[in-house]
Amino acid sequence: MSDAVPTTIIIYGLALAAYALLMTALNRRVGLVLLVAVGVLEILLLVLVGIIVARLADGGRPASVPTLVGYLIAAPLVPLIAGFWGAVERSRWGPAVIAVGGLVAAILMVRFHEIWPVIHV
Amino acid sequence: MSEPMAPPEQKASPPDSTRTGPGRLLVAVYGLFALSASARASVQIATKFHHAPVAYLLSAFAAVVYIIATVTLANGSPTARRIALVSCSVEFVGVVAVGTWSIVDPATFPDATVWSGYGSGYGFVPLVLPVFGLLWLRRFRRGRPTGR
Repeated sequence: MSDAVPTTIIIYGLALAAYALLMTALNRRVGLVLLVAVGVLEILLLVLVGIIVARLADGGRPASVPTLVGYLIAAPLVPLIAGFWGAVERSRWGPAVIAVGGLVAAILMVRFHEIWPVIHV
Repeated sequence: MSEPMAPPEQKASPPDSTRTGPGRLLVAVYGLFALSASARASVQIATKFHHAPVAYLLSAFAAVVYIIATVTLANGSPTARRIALVSCSVEFVGVVAVGTWSIVDPATFPDATVWSGYGSGYGFVPLVLPVFGLLWLRRFRRGRPTGR
């Protein structure tokens, strides 16, 4: 069940990036749909952080705990910062910033798996 | 299901500032690399410096260059743009030099840096990023209005 979350984040992040880039191509700025979509990404990442923290609480340990903790802090900041930085831009480049956020979320799942292989993707 | 239309772009006039329009995307990507390169370099230097000192010091140098580029592009004053021009140039020379060095002499790089293999570990973004940075800065030539 919990293994489905990183996979969902990869697919969702890539889909979000594709939609956002389409909006850039169509000369749209960030609107409600993109902001809600970024909010959903934030919720998914918070669920993942919860799952990983629960594994740590159960006594599991990756090779480098500081690295994992750094990624646990950084990951939920990605949609927040991308959403804010994209929303303050009133041109087509706002959605492009959110596209980067979606791609980064997907890449982070691969990095989580490398840091701690029990996190399947 | 779609986003609102963006106001039309005024191609004739120079952009408002280095952090708006395409600059918004540049600052975002530079910020991402500033954060990830400095986090990576700090962990490497703090935990296993003697494993690959050259690689880790180059990682730290790259991190500093990314931080300077992020801050100066986000600031956008004439002085900041001049510093950004230097740091983007250093970054481009750095990624080409370190990329070549890492291929010619892989023994010096038992662990990867941001710039080894021309940034291949980061989808070659480190190679194209300074090019876009320099192209963007070219649009703010001396004598043009600087905006806000």
